[in-house]
Amino acid sequence: MTKTRTDSVRAIRFFVAIAAALFVSACKDLLVPDYNNTSIDDLVNSPTPTKIAQASQGLLVGTRVGIGEQNGYVSLLGILGRESYNFDPADPRFITEMLIGPLDGGSPAFGGNLFAAPYRNIRNANLLLDALGKVVGLSTAQKSAVEGFAKTIQALDYLNVVNTRDDLGAPIDVNIGPLDPPAAIATKADVLAKIVSLLDEGFTALNAGGASFPFQVSPGFALFGTPATFAEFNRALKARVEAYRGNYATVLTSLGGSFLNTSSPLSDGAYHSYSTGSGDTPNALFDPAGRAILGHPSIVTDAESKPDGTLDARVLAKVAHLPEIHTVQGISTDLVFTIYSSNTSPIPIIKNEELILLRAEARYFTGDVVGALSDINFIRTNSGGLAPRGPFAGNADFIAELVKQRRYSLLFEGGHRWIDARRFGLLNTLPKALPAHNIMSRFPFPEAECLARVPAPTQGCT
Amino acid sequence: MRLSCAVATLALLLAFEPAAAQTRTITGIVTDAETGQPLEGARVSVRGTSLAVTTGAGGTFTLGNVPEGNVVVSIRRIGHNFADVPLPRGQNMVTAALTRDPLRLSDVVVTGQATAVDRRNLANAVATVNGEEVSRVSSQTVEQALQGKVVGASIQSNSGAPGGGMQMQLRGVTSINGSSEPLYVVDGVVVSNVAIPSNQNAVTRSTQGSNPSLTQDNQVNRIADINPNDIENVEVLKGASASAIYGSRASNGVVIITTRRGRAGERRINATQRLGWSKISNTLGSRTFNTLADAIAAWGPNAANFYQQGVTYDHERELAGKTPLSSQSVVDISGGDSDTRYFASGLWQNDGGIIDNTGYDKGSVRANLDQDFGKKLNLSLQTSATKSLAQRGLTNNDNASVSFWMVFPFTPSFVNLQRKPDGTYPSNPFVISNPLQTAALMKNDEKVLRSILAGRLTYTPLEKQSYSLRLLLYGGADQFSQENSLLFPAELQFEPIDDGEPGTALLSNSNNVNLNIGTSGVFTITPLGGAFKATTSVGVNGATRDLRISRIVSRNLVGGLGIVGAGTDVRVLEQRQRVENYGVFAQEEFLAVSERLLLTAGINADRSSVNSDTKKYFYYPKLSGSFRFPQPFRWVEEAKLRAAYGQSGNEPLYGQKFTPLSAIENIAGLSAIVVPVQGTVGSKDLHPERQREFEAGTDVTFAGGRATLELTGFRKDISDLLLQRTLPPSSGFGFENFNGGKLRTTGAEVAVNLIPIQSSATEWIFRTQFASTRSKIVELPVPTFRGLGFGTALGSFQFEQGASATQIVGNDSLADGTVVVRKIGDANPDFKMSFVNNLRYKRLRLYGLLDWQNGGSLINLTKFLYDLGQNTADYADPITYGGLQTTKGANRLRLFPKQTAVYVEDASFLKLRELTLSFELPETMVARMGRGIRTAELSFSGRNLWTHTNYTGMDPEVSNFGNQPIGRNIDVAPFPPSRSYWFSLSLGF
Repeated sequence: MTKTRTDSVRAIRFFVAIAAALFVSACKDLLVPDYNNTSIDDLVNSPTPTKIAQASQGLLVGTRVGIGEQNGYVSLLGILGRESYNFDPADPRFITEMLIGPLDGGSPAFGGNLFAAPYRNIRNANLLLDALGKVVGLSTAQKSAVEGFAKTIQALDYLNVVNTRDDLGAPIDVNIGPLDPPAAIATKADVLAKIVSLLDEGFTALNAGGASFPFQVSPGFALFGTPATFAEFNRALKARVEAYRGNYATVLTSLGGSFLNTSSPLSDGAYHSYSTGSGDTPNALFDPAGRAILGHPSIVTDAESKPDGTLDARVLAKVAHLPEIHTVQGISTDLVFTIYSSNTSPIPIIKNEELILLRAEARYFTGDVVGALSDINFIRTNSGGLAPRGPFAGNADFIAELVKQRRYSLLFEGGHRWIDARRFGLLNTLPKALPAHNIMSRFPFPEAECLARVPAPTQGCT
Repeated sequence: MRLSCAVATLALLLAFEPAAAQTRTITGIVTDAETGQPLEGARVSVRGTSLAVTTGAGGTFTLGNVPEGNVVVSIRRIGHNFADVPLPRGQNMVTAALTRDPLRLSDVVVTGQATAVDRRNLANAVATVNGEEVSRVSSQTVEQALQGKVVGASIQSNSGAPGGGMQMQLRGVTSINGSSEPLYVVDGVVVSNVAIPSNQNAVTRSTQGSNPSLTQDNQVNRIADINPNDIENVEVLKGASASAIYGSRASNGVVIITTRRGRAGERRINATQRLGWSKISNTLGSRTFNTLADAIAAWGPNAANFYQQGVTYDHERELAGKTPLSSQSVVDISGGDSDTRYFASGLWQNDGGIIDNTGYDKGSVRANLDQDFGKKLNLSLQTSATKSLAQRGLTNNDNASVSFWMVFPFTPSFVNLQRKPDGTYPSNPFVISNPLQTAALMKNDEKVLRSILAGRLTYTPLEKQSYSLRLLLYGGADQFSQENSLLFPAELQFEPIDDGEPGTALLSNSNNVNLNIGTSGVFTITPLGGAFKATTSVGVNGATRDLRISRIVSRNLVGGLGIVGAGTDVRVLEQRQRVENYGVFAQEEFLAVSERLLLTAGINADRSSVNSDTKKYFYYPKLSGSFRFPQPFRWVEEAKLRAAYGQSGNEPLYGQKFTPLSAIENIAGLSAIVVPVQGTVGSKDLHPERQREFEAGTDVTFAGGRATLELTGFRKDISDLLLQRTLPPSSGFGFENFNGGKLRTTGAEVAVNLIPIQSSATEWIFRTQFASTRSKIVELPVPTFRGLGFGTALGSFQFEQGASATQIVGNDSLADGTVVVRKIGDANPDFKMSFVNNLRYKRLRLYGLLDWQNGGSLINLTKFLYDLGQNTADYADPITYGGLQTTKGANRLRLFPKQTAVYVEDASFLKLRELTLSFELPETMVARMGRGIRTAELSFSGRNLWTHTNYTGMDPEVSNFGNQPIGRNIDVAPFPPSRSYWFSLSLGF
């Protein structure tokens, strides 16, 4: 009896000890970190020169998102501007929504697309600028270089937004808490003005940015790897935006600070880079068999011929005929793009060829008709292999010529045909394959942007 | 505070000294009333005391310390009815013959973390399925074996792919964005049921379309690894009122699986060999083109190069028309003596798949040991190891035109895809892949190696007439590794041309470790005379879950080697999650009024690393009561009224509380920090969802115990839902995770069990179950939002205050032609019913289980795809619609942007889930079969043999997105369903 009692007590003690140990573990902190990500708090509140460099390089990652996807900026704007088709059998909305319409802000891959990605990168730039204010270990010039870089990329992202939303305008004062009520929607003119002021602030900062960036740029920005050369990219963007605004005198001054050079390759410029490296993104527009991405037949039918009777060199270089005709929902084509010849091909942001055409446009509208003709013929002969043309018969003739050269020079590089047709009032000249098809002038706001606003904006929300 | 409380309780227990009394020792024997055979393993207790013992070999027992006066000896054994035998003063010998209990009225049901009560006293409608019911027909996974057997459970198969992937939802919708999985507890260890995608989306690119959900890989939830043949018993706690004691992980219910144990007595060996085959049970068919003009109209001018009048190919059957052989070998051995009891089993299973290179192989071994060290200490160990290989083909949504049923809609029936005599396959001229070639050359292997160890040390330091103390120390480890190895060789039609990089190899390795440890004390007091019995239990437990997944995607394979090292375009991804939980509980059970009244109160408090405040405890109380009325009416044996209330939680998911920046992207090798796509903003106060459940019901036994009726009504109020507030995209972020809103789910359950015929030669047992639930979003602090789906034009789940949580919205037209988005269906069925018949005539037994779902909507996007290809079987059937002469397919396509409902169908079905015809060989024949053979049974059985449904897709149960709290019912190119047939021989030694 006594022995059993002792055993009992011993065993109970054992269990009590275990229980006590578990109770003690009650005081143990169950804090488990985020193993898979870093945090905003870490970047903004304890920035280091390395983190600043990584966040700066992140802007080149961020501004690339949504560009080269099969439903990205180039592809969707290509469809709206009748440069391309997407025959993806898995999603008919490349036709039902993009060609027939209406664009639906509730479908994130189509009508509601091309909005979140640029704003995410605008946030990236704002976080970087916030962190820049606290970082220790960077010189004033280095900070200025980062600021100029960030503001220039931010301007590019705003430009991508306003290009798709056009007269709806877009929110601009978005550097607020993520849970705050959304920023007011500014008019298109205000967005363009914001872009110009960001570019000008960026330009000033780049000029004070010293000899080098405290980070690296991607191969697509190889020509713009220092604050001084990046400023040329900044001026090139400004020339484009001012052309969109119709401030042609400013276009010419901006081009003066840009990398425009008729003795350099026309392809010189800034590009989005793609690679197959781990963690990097490949160019999804590369679709050699035409599974989904196909060329619009009008690329060939509208093309001029060279003096030797063959087609415009740009057409021959940029599209090819497939062995068979592809047919989906009553529309057919056998054209496939060869512009992006591998899944690592870069996608142009802005290039020398566009700058020359911007100069032609600005020269014409500032009265230098001869200079404009010379620029147009430079592109016709050097890029298309075409014969030079004679003087313009008037504004309409010039615009038609300009738009055509821009179409073939900038084919499937970022919706230039659609944007040009819109800004020159020529949307109704875009071809419709079937009577049921429609020409869309802009994207609506994404549904989530509408739902977050009470009352919902009167336009752009369904 | 809590600590001192527990210490005080223990101290109290130790201090308790009962008054000494005169005692005697009793002995007895327990037999089966029908056969007269002695019964081992029967539990013998003395009513009104804590004294109890289990019968050993020969059905005998000896029990000391029994009071001198008149007592009642209670005897029970699983599968037999109770017997209460009065034992007057002076009589020390008990003989009891137990009648069989086919309706399982006398079961004991686990209700706490350390305690159990008799089913007849149970205050909750806890569903129990025993091992025999689980293993009547061969099943690949446990959940499959439970379909139609648990009232209130909706168990559905995500696809027909071999190796599992099934969802169990208990009592309707309990969460919108949180976890939807019940907590699975195997032998006291909380085991993992994660579903890890194979990463096939690297090839199908399913994530690159309008829905980036990773769960479109047709993944398997890992409870599939449990060997169904090892199961002794499954108890299902369906809501908070029963599961509160499991705290913040229990609001989706708890499934308690107990594996088989040895019993003292002779060594027993059972061996079963099954041989069978399976066969596709449904195909969609496709359009036949009668003229070249029709073919060109649908397929363009290219059709002329391939069209042959009158020649059609059935691509689906060419792909999935195999009738592969399957085999399953099961053996178990058990036995032991009064100190040591053992059970060991082995399983070897090879299930062929209906598509080339698909199938499921599983091997499993188990050893369970119970060891007594004297009368006070018992150690129980359960160990198992499972190895499986699931080959699951390439199905579900894609954006690359490679998933089998994403290709067929766009491949006309006049194109020949069959293998050529030289062994190569023709290229599909209309889409970039030939599924017959893909299936023949690809590999999608999921290998899992899993071991579950569970141990429990029980110490009973005090066991007196009027009180007892039991201390438990338990713990376990559940470890598995899952390897997904996929290969798409360069020879495949799509491989060189989809990305210019011939050959893709994918390798994912996942490692999961769940650790549990806990201790509890159970103090039972039964004052002399047995006026009441009070059981107090307290305990603490801790658990961790750690899951690490690493993935490699390798393209452009050099030399056709199928290893990831051979690629030139190699991507690496890693993800890790870890969750730590800690909890304490206390429970009091009070049984009184001649064991007619049971009152239970309990509370669980726990905290977790996934909450924003990891130090804060969340409390989950419960309260329940039941009262039995013996013989309330002449023809009623017993009626019980019961009511229970409880609370439980549903934890946030790992990572939801953070506001992350991504550090895994780069550009040309330049490291980058960016806000992730659809980045989340974590709440400063993220905590578990809270479910408050009230249930009440009655259990009635009548017709001499040959009929029972179980009626239950319940209401679940779920508050603090884990919601995602969609942030305006201009913020740069996607969502904010926060708690808010209220959801209510109500429902009713009915179970009827009947024994219409019971004689020595003939027995007929009939069971039927009915369950129906409704849910409503009572409060939603965010604007109406949408869940899974592909945009409203294709049907989407929409969460809206005042509406059913499972409503499906889509485009619809008002009378004036305006297109609006509104409700066009509801995924929730009106009700589910099942019918089980178990007929025995002498040695012949016929068993069948019918499973019926009535109502519920399913979005049939596979049909939509076929319509887009103008390739649906009925596409060209002429109809007149609104005065317009058109065809069925063209009409649907014309209508869907304005009336999404054309692709939302009724998911009602009636399925013959299980059927078995078995014959037990007579002893004379058995004796001739060999020495040592006791029993032999031959049977023929089948699973999912017959389905009746108006649903026009392949199967009305499918889910493109796998297991989902809401939003299962989307059909996109699933793996087809199959029937399986088995011949079995079972021998008992």
